[in-house]
Amino acid sequence: MTREISVELQKVSKLYGQDKVVDEVSFTVEKGEIFVLIGPSGCGKTTTLKMINQLIPHTSGNILVNGIDVAELDAVELRRSIGYVIQYIGLLPHLTIQENIAFVLKLTKQSKKMQKEKAEELIETVGLPTNYLTRYPRELSGGQQQRVGVARALAANPDILLMDEPFGAVDPLTREQLQNELLRLQETIRKTIVFVTHDIQEAFKVGSRIGILKQGKLVCLGTPMEIVKTDDEFVKSFIGQGALFEVLDTIEVSRVLEKEVPLVSENEKVDRTADILSGWDNVFVVNSDSKCLGYIPLNTLEPDGSFSKGQIISLPASSTPDISVKFAVEKMLWEGRTWLPIVDEKDGFKGIVLFRSCADLLAGDRG
Amino acid sequence: MELLIGAWNYFISKQDLMIIVLREHVNLVLWATLLTILIGVPLGILIARTQKVRDIVLGSVSVLYTIPILAFFGFLIPIMGIGSTPALVALVIYGLLPVIRNSCVGITQVHPMVKEAARGMGTNNWQLLFKVEIPLAFPVIFAGIRTALVMNFSLATYAVFIGAGGMGRIIMQGIRTFNTSMLLAGILMVVITTVLLERIIGYVDVRIQKRFSLGK
Repeated sequence: MTREISVELQKVSKLYGQDKVVDEVSFTVEKGEIFVLIGPSGCGKTTTLKMINQLIPHTSGNILVNGIDVAELDAVELRRSIGYVIQYIGLLPHLTIQENIAFVLKLTKQSKKMQKEKAEELIETVGLPTNYLTRYPRELSGGQQQRVGVARALAANPDILLMDEPFGAVDPLTREQLQNELLRLQETIRKTIVFVTHDIQEAFKVGSRIGILKQGKLVCLGTPMEIVKTDDEFVKSFIGQGALFEVLDTIEVSRVLEKEVPLVSENEKVDRTADILSGWDNVFVVNSDSKCLGYIPLNTLEPDGSFSKGQIISLPASSTPDISVKFAVEKMLWEGRTWLPIVDEKDGFKGIVLFRSCADLLAGDRG
Repeated sequence: MELLIGAWNYFISKQDLMIIVLREHVNLVLWATLLTILIGVPLGILIARTQKVRDIVLGSVSVLYTIPILAFFGFLIPIMGIGSTPALVALVIYGLLPVIRNSCVGITQVHPMVKEAARGMGTNNWQLLFKVEIPLAFPVIFAGIRTALVMNFSLATYAVFIGAGGMGRIIMQGIRTFNTSMLLAGILMVVITTVLLERIIGYVDVRIQKRFSLGK
């Protein structure tokens, strides 16, 4: 399957006088992904973002949006076709929420009726009541204004959204809520998003891929998992020690779930010669409803593989498959064991998460 | 008290004259203010773009502003003669300073992030000016117009010195003929109309500030 590319930068540079603010940056953003640009302040991440919609013209290199070089496009038309979200102060204070959301539609002279319908539709998309449409930005909280900012960027139905520290000006609680909403919204709208932030946790949380900039150069590019495994000293110090856990927090435990677990029905004997037993210390006892009754350590079995009900040790507290790897690791450490049983909502046995698999996830490519 | 009664009687007996001078006065001020707005607002917006031009224009307008209006009339008579034209010119020049300065300040104080957001959404230069910058600068621009209007209204009393009429006529004639009733009637008329105008435009200003206010 060929992946569609929405935005492509080819050796793009930006010079202010002799100052190279952005230095031969190249990357591609695939359709439907959230691509995060991150770096310390002054690293050129915002400049890079603004070159995509030509708010800042680039000095050299090529920028392709949907395969077309932006140099060949009218900058105003280009900007109208790309959604743009900045910190909440970017709402126009003299316009109502409806006029703010429909601003691009007004610029392109769409009918009043269409503007109103679109505003009503979008304000619901971002989870605000429609009676807010007649209010002014100053009457809304920071988080609400930010939601309006997202709605406004969606008004012209663009394929691409540029977000410049969109959640930078709200309190941590609201920020987390907005991040979750963005991820949920993204599942339905599937836009290509280029997202600038200075918050590494935010980057790991929302980014499908992350590019780290340092003094105008792209020093690291990859999925959150690839980023934490980088050996580059700058990247390591930038993302910090805690980053590992942040990444594990974004991975669902189902990715490391062992489904090939030695199982035995409550009335059967354990076949001690079975291949599946190798590497396991316990077998898990399930009943006919595939509910797990508990486990039996292999060394407590009778020589012929039979066991009595009294030998079954009941399971430690189990978890559902949608918890994160971080949560699973924490739970194992807390309970002092190296495995964690996973069950679905109806108590059906799904498998076991091993501490070893979690560790392998990180060691992965290091060899 | 007797003085006031005298002034009142004079006012009643010369109602026709009073209406004529008031009309002359209002006419002069309205035209002057209109011209001030037409020249001052675009000029103020224009000079908001470059620091250098701004300093030159605001500097020279401030210098003109410091010249006493009587001296100014004196200066204009050899060029334009007497009548309402030189009076109009003088008033326009006096009104320019607050209008230019406020238009310029109003435009420059529009938050750069707001402008960037608007540009990011695809406004061209004209749309940015008319849909974002001017609406946001409007309360400040209006405050400048208010200052110019009220100031011109009281300055126009001097217009009588170059034969442009207005309410100054009553005062001047009162002084020349030692007619205290007439003098006082003229003064009271100027004071009351000016205060009234100030109140009315103040009310409008409050409404505008409320409508456009950006305060949290």
